[in-house]
Amino acid sequence: MQLLKRSCLIASGLLMLATLVLAMPSPREQVQQTVEQVLEVLRNKAISGQPRREALSRLIRARFDFAAMSQRTLGKHWKDASAQEQARFVELFSDLLEASYIGRIEAYSGEIVSYRGERIEGDMAEVDTSVHSGNVDIPINYRLVHEKGGWFVYDVIIEEVSLIKNYRSSYGEIVRKEGYPGLFARMEAKIRELRAAPPKGTKG
Amino acid sequence: MSSSRLMTCLMLSVWFLLATLATATAADGETPVPAGPTAGLERDWTQLPSDEQELEVWDPLEPFNRGMFWFNDKLYFYALKPVAKGYRAVTPVPVRESFGNFFRNLSAPVRIVNSLLQFKITNTLDELTMFCANSTLGIGGLFDLRNNAPREPSPEDFGQTLGHYGTPPGFYLVLPVLGSTNARDAVGQVADSLTAPVPSPYYVKMETAEVAGLETFDTVNGLSLDKDTYEAIKRESLDPYLFVRNGFMQQRQAKVDK
Repeated sequence: MQLLKRSCLIASGLLMLATLVLAMPSPREQVQQTVEQVLEVLRNKAISGQPRREALSRLIRARFDFAAMSQRTLGKHWKDASAQEQARFVELFSDLLEASYIGRIEAYSGEIVSYRGERIEGDMAEVDTSVHSGNVDIPINYRLVHEKGGWFVYDVIIEEVSLIKNYRSSYGEIVRKEGYPGLFARMEAKIRELRAAPPKGTKG
Repeated sequence: MSSSRLMTCLMLSVWFLLATLATATAADGETPVPAGPTAGLERDWTQLPSDEQELEVWDPLEPFNRGMFWFNDKLYFYALKPVAKGYRAVTPVPVRESFGNFFRNLSAPVRIVNSLLQFKITNTLDELTMFCANSTLGIGGLFDLRNNAPREPSPEDFGQTLGHYGTPPGFYLVLPVLGSTNARDAVGQVADSLTAPVPSPYYVKMETAEVAGLETFDTVNGLSLDKDTYEAIKRESLDPYLFVRNGFMQQRQAKVDK
């Protein structure tokens, strides 16, 4: 009797756990949610300029783990940097990524995003999406990590090219040649440039 | 034409051999970066399992390559892009897409041969089926029936065939007009030029000027459909040369692995 009671308890506990796990949004759902929210802002003709950029910024910062991306970008150089340099880098890199991303998505002109699939391995996942533009499909995959109750993007792979690996090779070379002051100066100049001149959308 | 092509082929082969030798010796000296905890973040983000195939680009010709990159940049902004814009203004999208389909279909022999060389049988049959369907029902390739196909074939070329059998990419190389390549893929491009209906002399005999004209048209047509990819890269990166170099090498590696 005791045994039956206990196993009942365990079973119901497991069931509760299972429903909890099932109720949690999957990485694919979370990517889709953010992308759809971004598209909604872009389609909304009522907001533009600075308020629109702020809305986009909020959505992006809620789904991208910029701190992890910064650390991955510096790679082995991260450990050589002082705490102050690390903090400055995270700040600048977040701004730069955001400005680049907003620049890209502001050129949006009705492309269709489809969500292909997801692979989960422990607390890491990859979500495949595809952007249909004209007669080409551009594969865009998001790599995510599970932390603090949600899935967060730590790398984006566009047409087989990992953005973070790409940044890492460029930034590594700049740090080697010019040190952190040189890298920071270049990043500051680039952020100013990106914010000053939003790209014009062009038709295909 | 044929003697100059032979010269290029020879030159590239010598470079290529040197490159292979040098990469083979360079690979021994590398030590992996040890992973360890870092302050502030719970996970060490500097090293992840997905970094195992970290790609170190070998670029001994960097000064030359940067020169060529500068040249191609000017060629793009002062010649190709203005022509593509003018052409875009007078030609409707479906027409330009059809020309794009036509050239893509025309280069099918390259993809079929290289799929076969790698014994990717399903892929070869898919390419062959698409080629036959597009050439007939698709009216000489003007219409692409690929959207109705169950699978998207992965396009193969001779550089990938070499990579498939273990040839390393060798050094990075920027060619005038043709752009990014590497030692292995440059050899591949020369080999593919023998199986591609343009510019191979084995299908239709064409003058050099005619071949150049067709290839320029293909490029301009492609650019007219492009959404300023290069402009975005140039605007966003701290050093566009490094961005393009790494992006190209990553993409080629991924294609070889597929």
